[in-house]
Amino acid sequence: MATKTVNVSRPYTWQEKFYLFAIVQGLLITLKHFINGFFLRKHNTIMYPEVKREYSNRFRGSHFISVDKNKTENCTACYLCQTVCPAECITIVAGERESSKNPDGVKKEKRPVRFDIDSLRCCFCGFCEEACPKDAIKLSGKYEMAATSRSDTKYDLIYLKREVKGRG
Amino acid sequence: MCNTTDINREMGKHEIALNYCSNKHAVQKGANPAPKLILDGEVVEFVAGDTILQVAERAGRGHLIPRYCYHPGLPIAGTCRMCTVEVEKMVKLMTACSTPAADGMVVHTKTERVLKSRAGVMEFLLINHPLDCPVCDKAGECDLQDNNYRYGPVTSSFLEDKRTYPKAATKKLSEKITLNMNRCVHCERCVRFSEEVVKSCDLMMVNRSWHKELTLADDKLGLTSEYQGCLSDFCPVGALTFNDFRFVKRSWFLQRHPSVCDGCSKGCNIEVHSEDNIIYRFTPAYNEKINGHWICDTGRLSYHQVMDPTRIVRPMLAHNGALQATSWELAQAATGHLLETAKKVKVVIGTDATIEEIRYLQAALPDMFGSKFTFRSFNGTGTLSTSSQDKKLDHLLIMQDKTANLRGAEECKLAPLENGQINDSDLVLLVRFGRSAVPAVGNGQKLILLGVWNSAEQASLGAAVEVMLPGLATVEKSGTYINCDGIRQQFIPAVVHLGEGMAVNRLLRFTKK
Ligand code: SF4
Ligand code: SF4
Ligand code: SF4
Ligand code: SF4
Ligand code: FES
Repeated sequence: MATKTVNVSRPYTWQEKFYLFAIVQGLLITLKHFINGFFLRKHNTIMYPEVKREYSNRFRGSHFISVDKNKTENCTACYLCQTVCPAECITIVAGERESSKNPDGVKKEKRPVRFDIDSLRCCFCGFCEEACPKDAIKLSGKYEMAATSRSDTKYDLIYLKREVKGRG
Repeated sequence: MCNTTDINREMGKHEIALNYCSNKHAVQKGANPAPKLILDGEVVEFVAGDTILQVAERAGRGHLIPRYCYHPGLPIAGTCRMCTVEVEKMVKLMTACSTPAADGMVVHTKTERVLKSRAGVMEFLLINHPLDCPVCDKAGECDLQDNNYRYGPVTSSFLEDKRTYPKAATKKLSEKITLNMNRCVHCERCVRFSEEVVKSCDLMMVNRSWHKELTLADDKLGLTSEYQGCLSDFCPVGALTFNDFRFVKRSWFLQRHPSVCDGCSKGCNIEVHSEDNIIYRFTPAYNEKINGHWICDTGRLSYHQVMDPTRIVRPMLAHNGALQATSWELAQAATGHLLETAKKVKVVIGTDATIEEIRYLQAALPDMFGSKFTFRSFNGTGTLSTSSQDKKLDHLLIMQDKTANLRGAEECKLAPLENGQINDSDLVLLVRFGRSAVPAVGNGQKLILLGVWNSAEQASLGAAVEVMLPGLATVEKSGTYINCDGIRQQFIPAVVHLGEGMAVNRLLRFTKK
């Protein structure tokens, strides 16, 4: 098939040809930012890491598992988060909670023996939080998830049960 | 599930006992023409004596009628009222499971009245149900979940506190079964099972209505039957759960494939539940001629043998007096060399090998290495060596012979090993698949082991073992068994073997260059 080429260029107007107007316009913008930043102290950047960025309450960051007043995880190892997770990054092994560690009686007989989240695979969709019938797994506001080794990116139960205030 | 071709089949006494009520009336001679009724506007034929629910099942439409207390392997109780249907010219709704079908009946299963009744039953059941689904092992295969999803009310009008059974919350009824009374829907399938099928009479219901509670007949004894796992299969909810499967896996992850249990000569049909080829449980598969709806606990737990961590799944070769893992090439070459140089070889095949395996060995070995082989079978269940000595150990399924294919070995004209002793040959090829016992081997004979062995069994034979060639267990291979009643059963692999084991014919093929 023959290709038809359409020329969409147009001739410049005389203002555009006389480029000094555009230069003055640009200089004005620079001047505005200079005055805002230097005299009025309004910054668009922050001094990270001394200063932290404020995110919305709905930000989805690193996971945590909520605990009750006895520091027992609320998770009952129902595997619903593992089932729903599109990235297949949750691995749970369930077991029975010893009755001595279970002051709530039959309510908490099942517990996760292992609960691993591979944060490198996680896409932070929040489906796990959505699926959880016990409000156990949640995504905190923590966004600093850089690690120096691969094994640190795998969150285990101990890490997940860390204390999180509000949404972290 | 029955289909219409089953109807005219003659049934033996044993089969009727197994299929307590579903096919009880199957033998009907001279009932011509067959009676008919109209089910949801469709004419279906049935066998006189069927109830409406059984008619629907025969017509392949059993899914139209939800049920809790009805189970095809158990006597009819009619207690749960979930199965109500509308029958024209009858004032009240009728329970499909217990109303005998009559010629010319017009039955509706989907009218507004029926749906309202089902929603009512569901609401009543859910009043006291804990909704433990997140921790309940039944979730995913639970009749209460399914029926509530299909027929249940969206909301409940019950605001009061739920009934709970504090003492019986979770109670171990035996080593194998845990009861959670709060989840029970009082269908009494378990009670009928213990009374009518296994006849151990160890479960009973005490009190009435709100306080109705399932208890053990004898608290100290616990459950005594050999078929306890079946309780957790047919309990429509998670009240009775099998301890071996407790908290192990959620049921929706499991893939289900049919196979045959090789735990005794009965050859019960099973379903293998696995994920990523790791087996998590065996459950019974219905076969009216062999096991009905049941399997015994020993068979149910026998998947542990396939998944045994000490099972040898790599080829091994004797090196400096000890067996060491090696590659298939070396193991096959060593096997070929041993078979080539030996003068007199005895091949002892366990009666747990399939017919195909026995036939292959009988044909291929002399073909490859000449006629220096004598073939013998070995069973090893006590002194049992022929199928005529095999006998039933209880009224239901369990047989004395603990291997699956003694009859098949006899069909292949395999003579039993004399005195259970192996003597006077240079080389012994011992083929067994984890079920037949290990025969006694006299001194001065070299040994090649083939099949399913665990390290203890292999170690019991001492330093005589030259080569170990791992094979496939029943659920991992295809083949044919003939069971104690002479029924020929073919099966295909249910899972893929996770080790390096190979089928016998593949494994021996390259032993000779
Ligand atoms: S946030 Fe999404 S991807 Fe990450 S663990 Fe939860 S469900 Fe999986
Ligand atoms: S975190 Fe929630 S959804 Fe995941 S296993 Fe635990 S209880 Fe279930
Ligand atoms: S018995 Fe069924 S409905 Fe009840 S808690 Fe278990 S899965 Fe849920
Ligand atoms: S324990 Fe299960 S089978 Fe027995 S009555 Fe209760 S719900 Fe039915
Ligand atoms: S199934 Fe008919 S009353 Fe229970």
